[in-house]
Amino acid sequence: MQYPQPIAKLIDGFMRLPGIGPKTAARLAFYVLDMKEDDVLDFAKALVNAKRQLSYCSNCHHITDTDPCRICDDSSRDQSILCVVQESKDVMAMEKMKEYTGQYHVLHGAISPVDGIGPEDIYIPDLLKRLQNDVIQEVIIATNPNIEGEATAMYISRLIKPTGIKVTRIAHGLPVGGDLEYADEVTLSKAIEGRREL
Amino acid sequence: MYIKNITIKNYRNYHDLTLNFQNKINVIIGENAQGKTNLMEAIYVLAMAKSHRTTKDKELIRWDQSFAKVEGHLENRHGPLQMEVVFSHKGKKVKLNHLEKKRLSDYIGSCNIVMFAPEDLNLVKGSPQVRRRFLDMEMGQIHSIYLYHLSQYYKIMKQRNQWLKDVQQKKKKQDTTMLNVMTDQLIHSACHIIEKRFAFINKLQRWAEPIHREISRGLETLKVKYIPSINVSEEMDLSTLKIILQDEFQRLQERELHRGTTLIGPHRDDLQFLVNDRDIHTFGSQGQQRTTALSIKLAEIELIYEKVGEYPILLLDDVLSELDDYRQSHLLSTIQGKVQTFVTTTSVEGIEHSTLREAKIYHVENGKIKVNK
Repeated sequence: MQYPQPIAKLIDGFMRLPGIGPKTAARLAFYVLDMKEDDVLDFAKALVNAKRQLSYCSNCHHITDTDPCRICDDSSRDQSILCVVQESKDVMAMEKMKEYTGQYHVLHGAISPVDGIGPEDIYIPDLLKRLQNDVIQEVIIATNPNIEGEATAMYISRLIKPTGIKVTRIAHGLPVGGDLEYADEVTLSKAIEGRREL
Repeated sequence: MYIKNITIKNYRNYHDLTLNFQNKINVIIGENAQGKTNLMEAIYVLAMAKSHRTTKDKELIRWDQSFAKVEGHLENRHGPLQMEVVFSHKGKKVKLNHLEKKRLSDYIGSCNIVMFAPEDLNLVKGSPQVRRRFLDMEMGQIHSIYLYHLSQYYKIMKQRNQWLKDVQQKKKKQDTTMLNVMTDQLIHSACHIIEKRFAFINKLQRWAEPIHREISRGLETLKVKYIPSINVSEEMDLSTLKIILQDEFQRLQERELHRGTTLIGPHRDDLQFLVNDRDIHTFGSQGQQRTTALSIKLAEIELIYEKVGEYPILLLDDVLSELDDYRQSHLLSTIQGKVQTFVTTTSVEGIEHSTLREAKIYHVENGKIKVNK
């Protein structure tokens, strides 16, 4: 038997979300049918508002409801240091740490020719423009430690180096609080590679 | 180490099968096309999480089924270990002691295996690809970091080739910084691979030479040589390798841009087998090529023992009949009592050896197995 059209459409909508297949989508859709109408309305509104009210900051490209975003606008933050990340989610992760008080730049991706993404297709040219104002003295590159993130980091550092601005890369290796014996060989070999003098 | 039992579900022509093995020699007898090789392949898959015959995992799933599963219990120096590989249309999952391993490199190496199949006779006369595959499979199971660098290398090369192609077809504009970044990434992995290949082949040569001399009754000296696609030598350390590779890529840059692909690197490496200083790829007889393949496989068993501290499991798929009496008995004496061995053959007649007298015999017929001891 086929689903009536309204619920079929709802299932279809859920299925467009990442990580949700037909079964989960059907379960969620039927759950919605059982929800109170007010809750459903709130949920629907939240969805639409998130899309309508949020945009990307024209300066750092982080998601925001104001432009420039709250981080760029906060004059108490350190203006001389800039952290480059791949996604807005990464800004959230960095902010959770509450240790970093500098600026951000969100690239919205990493260089990956296989996916058709070259240096011009993410916000690298914008980053270089931002660095021309002489305020920024250090750029921390916090792209992911995989091939694409690493290529992006190396590419950016080579473009920035000639300008004399300090470029650093976040460290990778052992997780804090973990036991050495549980680390896999690859992580350990990376940790050995990145060892430092005490 | 040895495999105590194996359970195979929806695998090729097997529906659901559990077999107990003995520690010594297990002989699988059957007519052609009954499933002997499939059973050997299943044991191989249990250890390596992939087939030696195909790169398409989906082919392993029995017709009309949604998944295939191979599970086995093995006993190694650390005690008992449960291993499991499941293939479905979504991909594969591997488990050690019922715990899923996200990284294949955490799984491979738990059970070491050496397989000697008719295809291995191609090791000498086949294309360089066959020899690289041999290198990668054998090194992968004793060297998980090698496996990591290898997979990184191929991923980077894929990105780099795509970019070179885009530039060649004018879809992206030439950007020297970009090319240099990708080249440097590639070189980083390449250096590690080359260094480890040198070391492995060196060890292999050390083991293979005496073994080959014995099989050839003292007449032949076997040398195994690594032929990297870039002119480097064994004495070079990582930083020297890096400089040489950088120069070489610099020299080839124009040509790579023109051709739109990566022209040198470990993906173009080769191996050379010399018997009495003559390259037997071109000058060797069939028999010499066969003996060399056998020597290499036996050397591998010793090499794994040296590296892991325990003998691997040996799979002999249809090759016993390919060897003459002297080589057969040499092979069987070498493994006798120390290596758990699986042999497939169409009949045991004509194979006279004390090893076979203690063998456990399995008869395969159309995906079903009868055991008699």
